[in-house]
Amino acid sequence: MALLETENLVKEFGGLVATDDVNLTVEENERVSIIGPNGAGKSTLINLITRRLDPTSGDIRFKGESIVDRDPHEVVQMGVSKSFQTASIFSNLTVRENAEIAALAAEHGSFGFKFLEHRDSLTDVHEVARDTLDAVGLLGQADRTASELPYGDKRRLEIGIALAAEPDLLLMDEPTAGMSPEETEATVELVEEVKRELGLTFVLIEHDMEIVFSISDRIVVLNRGRVIAEGTPDEIRGDPEVQEAYLGGVDL
Amino acid sequence: MSDESASAGETDTDASALGDAIGIWAPRGNEVRIVAGSAIILALFPFIFSRMPVVSDLLQGYQSLATLILIWGIFALGFDLLLGYTGLLSFGHAAFWGGAAYATGVFSQQVSGSPILMVAAGTLFAVLLAWFLGFLSLRRGGIYFAILTLAFAQMMFYMSSSPLAFITGGENGFTGVETGELFGMFALESELPSVLGLLLGTWLYAFVAIITVLCIAFAYRILQSPYGMVFRAIRENEQRAEFVGLNVWRYRLMSFILSGLFAGIAGSLFTIHGTYVPLSSLYWTESGEVVIMTVLGGTGSLFGPMIGAGVYLYVENIVSGGHPVDFIAPFWHLILGLVFVVTIWMFPRGIWGFVRDVRDMITGGDE
Repeated sequence: MALLETENLVKEFGGLVATDDVNLTVEENERVSIIGPNGAGKSTLINLITRRLDPTSGDIRFKGESIVDRDPHEVVQMGVSKSFQTASIFSNLTVRENAEIAALAAEHGSFGFKFLEHRDSLTDVHEVARDTLDAVGLLGQADRTASELPYGDKRRLEIGIALAAEPDLLLMDEPTAGMSPEETEATVELVEEVKRELGLTFVLIEHDMEIVFSISDRIVVLNRGRVIAEGTPDEIRGDPEVQEAYLGGVDL
Repeated sequence: MSDESASAGETDTDASALGDAIGIWAPRGNEVRIVAGSAIILALFPFIFSRMPVVSDLLQGYQSLATLILIWGIFALGFDLLLGYTGLLSFGHAAFWGGAAYATGVFSQQVSGSPILMVAAGTLFAVLLAWFLGFLSLRRGGIYFAILTLAFAQMMFYMSSSPLAFITGGENGFTGVETGELFGMFALESELPSVLGLLLGTWLYAFVAIITVLCIAFAYRILQSPYGMVFRAIRENEQRAEFVGLNVWRYRLMSFILSGLFAGIAGSLFTIHGTYVPLSSLYWTESGEVVIMTVLGGTGSLFGPMIGAGVYLYVENIVSGGHPVDFIAPFWHLILGLVFVVTIWMFPRGIWGFVRDVRDMITGGDE
């Protein structure tokens, strides 16, 4: 059974069709990249899957269960986590607290009545948060306020928050946007490492073709909301329609 | 400090057995220090404020005002959970303050005059009301939320001014408060014996002060619980909180209910303190006052709002009476406005923020 499926998914904004009849299937342990020119509907698709936007029609299924009537936090609880395009972190909280918030939601559900329980007693939350920060290399800075981190580290923290939620499927919206080449390299390594150690399934949106071709098992090409091609990196590289629409006919 | 940890190591097994027995009620971290510190300050406060030679002459304080400051302090403390920590500005907390005040009054007349039961009844009323109004108001965020809460509170003001006047006494307020004796033995307005009388003054103050210390301990525990962290996370980045899998809406409702609970405790004590419920306790100005007290004292802190309440009430009651100079009496509103503007201008994080900055300067920023 596929981990994630979209069926005839359509999203219209007024007259504009941002997502046009998309049928996407992501298998377990697969790394899928979604590429396409600006305005192709990549972010819209991610926002539909995370339930930030309501689809106009069609269905989205995660682990075989329809999620179109679920709230965003319910979808996260089911195991879909998202890292944002910008560093969407809790700026005035410490780095550790940032990870703990996500770990709390993963370990203790979306809501609880523990307002009389001291946080020190939540050892499971502390452990998950510590392991996550260790994985993204921020453990040494755990007590700093998140807003003090350099931009690259903020983005790593952003990915850390998404990981601490202990997802089965991680949606990454341009994880290297705005990063320096060194930071990009470190992030790619991080993604590779996480993939190896946690066996996560990824859906990646990325502009950097080098990353896309090196990291993905399968690539989905969107243009004007439609899927125009789908296949392994090698197949996509040779596809004339892709080159025409996305790469402007330039040979790769 | 090292002694303490060494002895803690020796008695570790005892401590954990005790911890198991009393469970979550066992004090943790700074809790003992905070509670003990608050208790000492509250024990000395009425003496310094209203009876100590020289100082009390300078301050011109009096016993009843000391009690009132604590009561508003509880109100502001709870309000800060919502405004300072969760980042929600309610403009209708008079509903819980005044609602609890009326509920307490009616309860004392119809059921029991036991001060403890009166506080329990008023607080229960406020919690249920906060649940209901929070459920309706929290559908919208930002300015819409503020206006919705204001509208609901004004509805309650209107309801008690005429349609429900047969219960509330309408414009005259509720005059039938019948407060009994504490534990059936001590009249609240009577003096405490010997040294306690000199320090605390009346039984009423002792009663209010003990509840205040409990409220401080309760609020501090909430802030040290997962809730404290989640509230701040929602304030910082609501969308991210939702996308790590937290039910933001239910946590916000809990924040609203908890702040309503504190408002309820305070409103109940207000009735016991005044043995009367004025109609104005539901008026929107009461909602505004608690906002000003909280911001003046410093949002996002435990003690700031209580200090803000003290400063506000001091100006409202002492400065308005022509102290320290007679001619300013008619201008006390202006003085209050100036205090507010200057404080916020100079110290955006309020009086408590200023205190913290000074402390950080002295200690070099370590805690």
